[in-house]
Amino acid sequence: MANRITRRKFLISSGLAGIALKSPVLFASTPGASSSSPIMRRIPGTDESIPAIGMGTWITFNVGGDTQLVQQRTRVLKTFFDLGGTVVDGSPMYGSAADVMGEALNSLNAHDRIFAATKIWTGDESETRQEAARSSRRWGVERLDLLQVHNLLGWQGHLETLKEMKANGEVRYIGITTSHGRRHREFAQIMEREPLDFVQLTYNVLDREVEDRLLPLARERGIGVIVNRPFQGGSLFRRFQSEPLPDWAGDVGVSNWAEFFLKYIISHPAVTCAIPATSKVEHMKENMGALYGRLPDAAQRKQMADYVRSL
Amino acid sequence: MSGADWLSYSLQDFVMFGPQVFLRLFVRINQDLWPWQLLAVVAAFGIPALFLSQGERARRLAVGLMALAWATSGYGFLVGYFGPINWPATWFGWAFVAQGALLAVAALSGRVPGSRLPVGKFAVLWLLAVSGLPWLAMADSGQWEAVALFGIAPGTTAAAGALVVALIPGPWRWFYLPLLVLWSLFCAAISWVLQTWWLLVTPIATLLLAGAGLWLSPRPARSPD
Ligand SMILES: NC(=O)c1ccc[n+]([C@@H]2O[C@H](COP(=O)([O-])OP(=O)(O)OC[C@H]3O[C@@H](n4cnc5c(N)ncnc54)[C@H](OP(=O)(O)O)[C@@H]3O)[C@@H](O)[C@H]2O)c1
Repeated sequence: MANRITRRKFLISSGLAGIALKSPVLFASTPGASSSSPIMRRIPGTDESIPAIGMGTWITFNVGGDTQLVQQRTRVLKTFFDLGGTVVDGSPMYGSAADVMGEALNSLNAHDRIFAATKIWTGDESETRQEAARSSRRWGVERLDLLQVHNLLGWQGHLETLKEMKANGEVRYIGITTSHGRRHREFAQIMEREPLDFVQLTYNVLDREVEDRLLPLARERGIGVIVNRPFQGGSLFRRFQSEPLPDWAGDVGVSNWAEFFLKYIISHPAVTCAIPATSKVEHMKENMGALYGRLPDAAQRKQMADYVRSL
Repeated sequence: MSGADWLSYSLQDFVMFGPQVFLRLFVRINQDLWPWQLLAVVAAFGIPALFLSQGERARRLAVGLMALAWATSGYGFLVGYFGPINWPATWFGWAFVAQGALLAVAALSGRVPGSRLPVGKFAVLWLLAVSGLPWLAMADSGQWEAVALFGIAPGTTAAAGALVVALIPGPWRWFYLPLLVLWSLFCAAISWVLQTWWLLVTPIATLLLAGAGLWLSPRPARSPD
């Protein structure tokens, strides 16, 4: 990955220059911020940084053999890369999403632009390596960047193998995932004991349970945090999109609801990256807007949460 | 997993595709098959005609076509198109093929009851199913290519196939019915989550037609005493 960074930086900055020329609105919308460089987060314990906005693929990239939709999702992925994104999250559980990602990466010739994060999702704890190999084949990448045990399924056995794989250089980072607030006690115990690089969990302006225990623990243990369901599976838009943004939205670097929800998340000091999913180019542009400009401070974060609660 | 964990799951968590990709399955299969689906239309309207003709061979042919429709919609639509975005659809696809085989064996090994079947009522209900249900996917998708034809689309096929309960001899029926019920629940859950409200009519129609099939099935002849 180290040798990819210079190229990536180049791609990001040249992509951004192009976008800035094409869409000054995106950049004008975050007044006073240094809007031209993406917000990067260091992976704890390493010198590597990743963009604070990634993308998920649950539902949105599961389009099977529908060539028209594969091409459309390829445009979504291209927009993501062009706007500075690298981290893509998948799982063998997501149907054809891994194959669609593989096809999209092929047509964009973008294998060196991706931070490929997928999961081990099988109850058979002796299948870790096979499933990882299947995933890299489907994504078309030589080596996956991050392998996470999906929803703690068979985590003991898988984690042992993942540790070996990391030691052998077969994967760069390892982790575990949960979502919807499930099994947090057990999750915390694993975080306390195991040498994890990343955890993935649900966090958004309404689901904030992780602020109490898991996020502080991640900081304390030097574990990167990937945030899933940043829009609560889309329901935050259904609930709040018709409401006005607060007058002070500009002060926190926010010009639409997508940025509001995402900046709330990535401004938490323990969070490394949020992975919103979308099937639409327009939504991807909005989401990637959160990768630029000013971020709220602690007091403003509180104001944001209070505002949403008041609606 | 604890009970509380299970309670945190909703139906939504089990549906791993969106409405756009689902409704396009109908469009894609129709585009890929064109113009061969016209044969399916001929079969859909030919089956009641064969029953009305009252001959034993015609009835056998009708049941054979029905069995074929189960198999083609199961293997074609469910295994070929739906399965890649939703694994349970593949299992249903093979179950549809098995259902077709079961129907063929059950009905063709014995006599296909005909003389005592109220064919008029059977034909009317059948025609309602095969001509009414195909439009629902179009109503949800807004595209005429999404028409869900009998023998191609599993929903319409199962709904019309439910009526065939009337033709299956006694004990065989209890092998034939479970798939209809499971399939209807599966379809209803998907339509509910995807909010494809028109398509929700198909599983409801399937269960109603299965009920109608039981009602139409010829009673054993009264003993002469
Ligand atoms: N246990 C686990 O490991 C786990 C569990 C859950 C999720 N995840 C990961 O986390 C990712 C994100 O979670 P998620 O997909 O469940 O939910 P999410 O990202 O919170 O929400 C996705 C929904 O938001 C909508 N959306 C996205 N951007 C939008 C915008 N700018 N305006 C309006 N609507 C917008 C999308 O619809 P459109 O397509 O119309 O944009 C989609 O329906 C997943 O894709 C997956 O990779 C992992």
